[in-house]
Amino acid sequence: MAAAFGTGIVAPLSRVPKGTIVAGGARILKRGNLSGWLFVVLVAGLAEVIVRAGNLGDSVAAPSAAVRALASELWAGRLSQAIVTTLHVYAEGLAVAIAIGVVAGIAIGSSRTLLAASSVVLEFLRAVPAVALIPLAILWFGLGVPMHRFVIAYAATWPILIATLYGVRGTDRLLHDVARTAGETRLGTVVRVTAPAALPGIAAGIRLSAVIALNVAVTVEFINGGGGIGAYMQRQQNAYNLPELYGAIVLTALLGYAIHLTLRAAEQRALFWVGEHRLESR
Amino acid sequence: MTASAARAARPLLGAAVFLAVLGLWQAEARRHPSYLFPAASAVLERASHVWPTSEFLSDVVSSLERLGAGYVIGAGVGVALGLVLGSSVGLRRLLEPLTELLRATPAISIVPAAIVLFGLGEAMHVAVIAFAVCFPVLVNTVEGVRAVSPEVRDTAAMLQVGPVERAVRIHLPAALPQIFAGLRIALSAAVILLVISEFVGAGDGVGHYITFQQSQFNTEEVYGGILFLGLLGYVLNRLFLVVERRVLAWHYGAVGESGR
Repeated sequence: MAAAFGTGIVAPLSRVPKGTIVAGGARILKRGNLSGWLFVVLVAGLAEVIVRAGNLGDSVAAPSAAVRALASELWAGRLSQAIVTTLHVYAEGLAVAIAIGVVAGIAIGSSRTLLAASSVVLEFLRAVPAVALIPLAILWFGLGVPMHRFVIAYAATWPILIATLYGVRGTDRLLHDVARTAGETRLGTVVRVTAPAALPGIAAGIRLSAVIALNVAVTVEFINGGGGIGAYMQRQQNAYNLPELYGAIVLTALLGYAIHLTLRAAEQRALFWVGEHRLESR
Repeated sequence: MTASAARAARPLLGAAVFLAVLGLWQAEARRHPSYLFPAASAVLERASHVWPTSEFLSDVVSSLERLGAGYVIGAGVGVALGLVLGSSVGLRRLLEPLTELLRATPAISIVPAAIVLFGLGEAMHVAVIAFAVCFPVLVNTVEGVRAVSPEVRDTAAMLQVGPVERAVRIHLPAALPQIFAGLRIALSAAVILLVISEFVGAGDGVGHYITFQQSQFNTEEVYGGILFLGLLGYVLNRLFLVVERRVLAWHYGAVGESGR
């Protein structure tokens, strides 16, 4: 169980017997949470009443207006191009981040010398908020897609790299030594012992990065225009189209939620042996 | 070199590599002079002139005030709600879809709505930062409270500990390590949203400084501003770890986990 140790993100070990959590988790996942979704509807209804009764239509959009605007914009196809643009650059940036983060994380995590050598540079680069690089990235790459890709990848790399690093560092030394004694080469040990043991950490890092990358993707578009959901939101804000603006917020929420559900499902399939879903929290 | 000598040299190695990277930057910039890529020395020289000025310092103070206010409000709301949701299975299930949806919402989406609602004033920055901070803290608090062992729960029930006392004296301390994990994630989220909200609409602050210098094509100042934000994030993170070590000393003592 050393695998999920020390990513800095996971829960402290609970002393609840493992079986109960697995059973409980499986039950919750299987059974749809009807009451919870009804509660969402209830909150939306309440907001609707408040907006209408308080005549707040000038500063916030009523939920019904937002949903209607979103539906008609989607139906008219005015949003489909924006969604495709955003998701495309998002996926590219995230893919670059996963490739760099996992490889660098495993390399740095398996060598104490490399970890010591890179620590200061990593700590510093990681502390630079990726969005602060946007003005610089514009100077380097211009306003196009490469600039978006760079900023997204920069932001998304660090959580994956750090989580991978801790996953590798938390690997049971014994497994490592057994593999080496059994005649596994250094590379073979990394591929067959270290990487699988670090997978729960890597998955947690990817889940965190997936949220950050979506955030950054929309941000870059919002600040620089061009295409995508962020630019769409910026246009709606400038035009003071509140229902469309709030509709776009609902859209990003649904996108974020869909990404979250997809990754969680993928993780449960791929990491079935982790059992207790301890990496739940991001 | 013996193993212990190598271990003693390790902390220095990190600093040495950092300086080597700076040196490489300097050499490259010298070889290919370009306004897009000023030399490290030029950036640092500019920074040494700009950073002590009262204008820049007041930018820093504005930014820190927004950051502090948003962080405290978001963390407070997150912990309080988390303690309530964590202690009741029914309530947690009821509110789960709503919190999951809000958590999945990219915080940037809130920025245009906040601008319309609050204008470009302080309230907008603080609201946006608080929103981004709230959810990681909330989710981690809920997870932490959930992980309280059944023995402890049963003991509290048997001793008829009231709900408020149970939340504050049993659930809060038990969830604290997990809450700190959330607070740390929230810290970097807060800095990011600070920068975004200052890029989009502010008359001052470090984020505004960077966009302004970019619009003037003052590349050295842009690099300097980014450098400052990197240092700020680094220092905040270090301070956070110091506080965490102190607050959670008992936890590390009990678990024997090297602090992280």
